[in-house]
Amino acid sequence: MFTALRDILVGPFKVDPEKVTPEATLEQLGLDSLSVVELSLILEKDLGVSVTDDELLQTPTIGAMAELIGERGAPV
Amino acid sequence: MSTTEPVEDRAAVLAGVGGWVPPHVVTNDDLSAHLDTSDEWIRTRTGIRTRHRVSPGMATSDLAVEAGRRALDSSGDDRAGAVVLATTTPDRICPATAPDVAARLGLAGVPAFDVSAVCTGFLYGLATAAGLIATGVAERVLLIGADAFTTIVDPTDRSTAVIFADGAGAVVLRAGRPEEPGALGPVVLGTDGTLSHLIRVPAGGSRQRSLAPTHAPGEQFFQMEGRDTFRHAVDRMATASRQAVAAAGWSMGGVDRLAAHQANARILHAVADRLGIPAEHQLSNIAEVGNTGAASIPLLLAQSAADGGLEAGHRTLLTAFGGGLAWGATTLTWPKLSAG
Repeated sequence: MFTALRDILVGPFKVDPEKVTPEATLEQLGLDSLSVVELSLILEKDLGVSVTDDELLQTPTIGAMAELIGERGAPV
Repeated sequence: MSTTEPVEDRAAVLAGVGGWVPPHVVTNDDLSAHLDTSDEWIRTRTGIRTRHRVSPGMATSDLAVEAGRRALDSSGDDRAGAVVLATTTPDRICPATAPDVAARLGLAGVPAFDVSAVCTGFLYGLATAAGLIATGVAERVLLIGADAFTTIVDPTDRSTAVIFADGAGAVVLRAGRPEEPGALGPVVLGTDGTLSHLIRVPAGGSRQRSLAPTHAPGEQFFQMEGRDTFRHAVDRMATASRQAVAAAGWSMGGVDRLAAHQANARILHAVADRLGIPAEHQLSNIAEVGNTGAASIPLLLAQSAADGGLEAGHRTLLTAFGGGLAWGATTLTWPKLSAG
């Protein structure tokens, strides 16, 4: 799941690929709170995964976020 | 007042369009001088480069008159049987601003009133104007969306001060036939008052006035919960758009132009993405004018008609979302008009 999430962050969100590590935080990637809503919308549309922006914001790192998305049934 | 046609055969047909923004331009650098922000931050997070602001003493009616006159000029006829003004920033609480605007346009005596649906005001105004025409109250309606939004925005609130701006747009609708170019399609409207707290100005109304003569600091300003608003804006505009397109008997792939409320470039992108409408079919002026509230859609239509982005024959989808929460969408095939 981490790879799929990284592809989204590097693609639509134009984040530097080198910065996208499991330990990274949203803040370190330069993403604001609206980005989390956009990410939630993209996950729903592209991967069919329903995760709210509140739930995404509660994950401390990108690795934890990927884990949550994976638990919701996204293809690995 | 005569009604020569049966009401059921009537449609509201677009006959004129016009827009106006006050001359004072505010750049991102201007805002960065007193806010903790930068041109780069504002551009990448909102898509806005400049916006226009009223000069001291200028009110919503001043904006509305300029746009209204241009729409009447565009229609080739300076008469209208009713004036509807969609605004969140009336000149004062009472009376409505529309009668002032009508009088200044030489239309004293006609029915004139305000419509309050925040950024969806123009869509609500279209349905209202179509109703005035369908019931025979008026043969021609001047509908104006105008907001001096900067007068209610907290200049120290980075999240709203960089987005909201001032301007006006107007259309003339005339009685016509449903099959004519410019005939307004079915209008989809909705609200959810359980979420009215997401976008509001807490002070100034009866609740605050009945409690105390003064209000808490900041309560006179516009407040918005950004994340929730973003999510609902995308959901509601996408759903209303699908409903309006289906009700018109169109397919989303057949939409030539999307004229969505210019809320924020990222919301516009997300709505178009959901609807599968490509970038070249999206009209946008948010980079130059910001979010002008109820003026947003008619100002966009006027500017797009003037710059060639919108041409006769384009199947055009309009959609908006804002405080209330309120949302709406409708369709029309763009008619041959002279741009106001």
